[in-house]
Amino acid sequence: MNVIEINNLSFAYEKQTVLQNIQLNVEEKDFLAIIGPNGGGKSTLLKLILGIYAYKKGTIKVLGNTPKKSLRKIGYVPQNTNINTDFPIKVIEVVMMGHVDGRRPLFGYGKDEILCAMGALTQVGMVDFAQTKIGSLSGGQRQRVMIARALCAHPQILILDEPTSSIDITGQREIYELLKELNTHITIIVVSHDISVILEYANKAAHINKTLSFHDISDKHSTFHTHGNDGHFCEIELLQMLGAENCNTCEEENPKWRVKP
Amino acid sequence: MIEALGFEFMQHALIAGFLVSFAAGIIGSLIVVNRMVFLAGGIAHTSYGGIGLAVYFSLPIFLGASLFAVGAALLIAALTLKKRHRMDTFIGLIWAVGMAIGVIFVDLTPGYNVDLMSYLFGSILAVSTQDLYFMAALLTLIVVVVTLRYRDILAVSYDSEYAGLRGVNVQFFYTLILVLSALTVVIAIKVVGLILVIAMLTIPVYIAEKLSNSLFSMMFLSGAIATLFTLVGLWLSYTYDLTSGASIIMVSAVSLGLFLLFTHKKL
Repeated sequence: MNVIEINNLSFAYEKQTVLQNIQLNVEEKDFLAIIGPNGGGKSTLLKLILGIYAYKKGTIKVLGNTPKKSLRKIGYVPQNTNINTDFPIKVIEVVMMGHVDGRRPLFGYGKDEILCAMGALTQVGMVDFAQTKIGSLSGGQRQRVMIARALCAHPQILILDEPTSSIDITGQREIYELLKELNTHITIIVVSHDISVILEYANKAAHINKTLSFHDISDKHSTFHTHGNDGHFCEIELLQMLGAENCNTCEEENPKWRVKP
Repeated sequence: MIEALGFEFMQHALIAGFLVSFAAGIIGSLIVVNRMVFLAGGIAHTSYGGIGLAVYFSLPIFLGASLFAVGAALLIAALTLKKRHRMDTFIGLIWAVGMAIGVIFVDLTPGYNVDLMSYLFGSILAVSTQDLYFMAALLTLIVVVVTLRYRDILAVSYDSEYAGLRGVNVQFFYTLILVLSALTVVIAIKVVGLILVIAMLTIPVYIAEKLSNSLFSMMFLSGAIATLFTLVGLWLSYTYDLTSGASIIMVSAVSLGLFLLFTHKKL
């Protein structure tokens, strides 16, 4: 079943076209990596899926509905969580912002809301930090809290915009391991510059640079070319390949982009 | 000092100091966490336009200043919606034009009947009973709004984009914060004057921020700290015959310096 269906979508800021004829289907429990150069339209596509921007050409269906109507079923982790670190706010309060508005108590938070937030914090391994001030956490820990906030709404799709851009290598791996775990019951879409996500975790990849090229990369071994016997491959090659309209070059015996051993 | 408490003007000053300090602590916290300090300064100076108009048309000064300040706040909120990146230019413009309007209308008013200095630097010793009612009503309104809509205000202040995605009416709460700021600025003008109002809205808040781990505790701690500064400033002003607004601000500034020195908190 497709949780997201995008057909013939084009989008422009004033006169500058950012996205052109985008086709994209995301299936349930996919782990989709969106890659591409800066300014290529990655974040724009996310904002269209989230209904933050309105589009004129093409269609987007999220869980069979318009983006705005399905918003409550999407968990979103925005880019750059280093903003506002001075803000006096406890971890638990940040997580509870993720609740979608239902019945609310007149004052403070409901018991069920607190329980649900603690559950989300347990899921991301941050429950011991519930009463800590957000500014005193590390980048990786803060990112986990942001994921917990997104999980608070019990989303069917989790969208993350460059979740590891300000985190050290160990922290990055932990975030991806967490996403892998969540992927057993949630569809995950990650915008990333980080190649390791494509190599190890994602089963689909979309390269966006105004146009979109889509690749099923669930079978890593047959998808990627390798140098020698150690299974190593060059990052630049990989990006070039994913950016190509199709994989024809793979069939060439000696494609231009491949570095000669 | 004790014998001074027998005078009505001194009792009024103390009550006004408490009411205004608490309002400034709560609203100042929101202004600081939303990074709207420059904006609040703009509204403070703009409100002089309202004072000038009130003098010219013989209206109550509080009324004129409030209407003008709220108007400026709404204008700024509307402009922010359209062109956020030009904010600083608009604020600078509204800041200066408001003051100019005030100066011109005071010029046009026949006879010399306004002590300009009392609006620039405050006149806490000349607070009327009516002023006190206005201040008490505003503080009540602020406490009620902040308590009942704490979650929305917190969400909008911390991460407005996310709040919007979760169904919070960001523009409404942003405008609400601005309007409450405008009204707070107007009552604070009575105590410290429009030039010094920014210090009152930021110094206690800055200290409270370092000592709090939630917005709620920050707001009430700021209120308490601001009250303390106001009372000490008032006492100094009475004892040494100094301008009250300036004394309050200097007490705040020196306290901030000592706080940073003894707690080794990073700026």
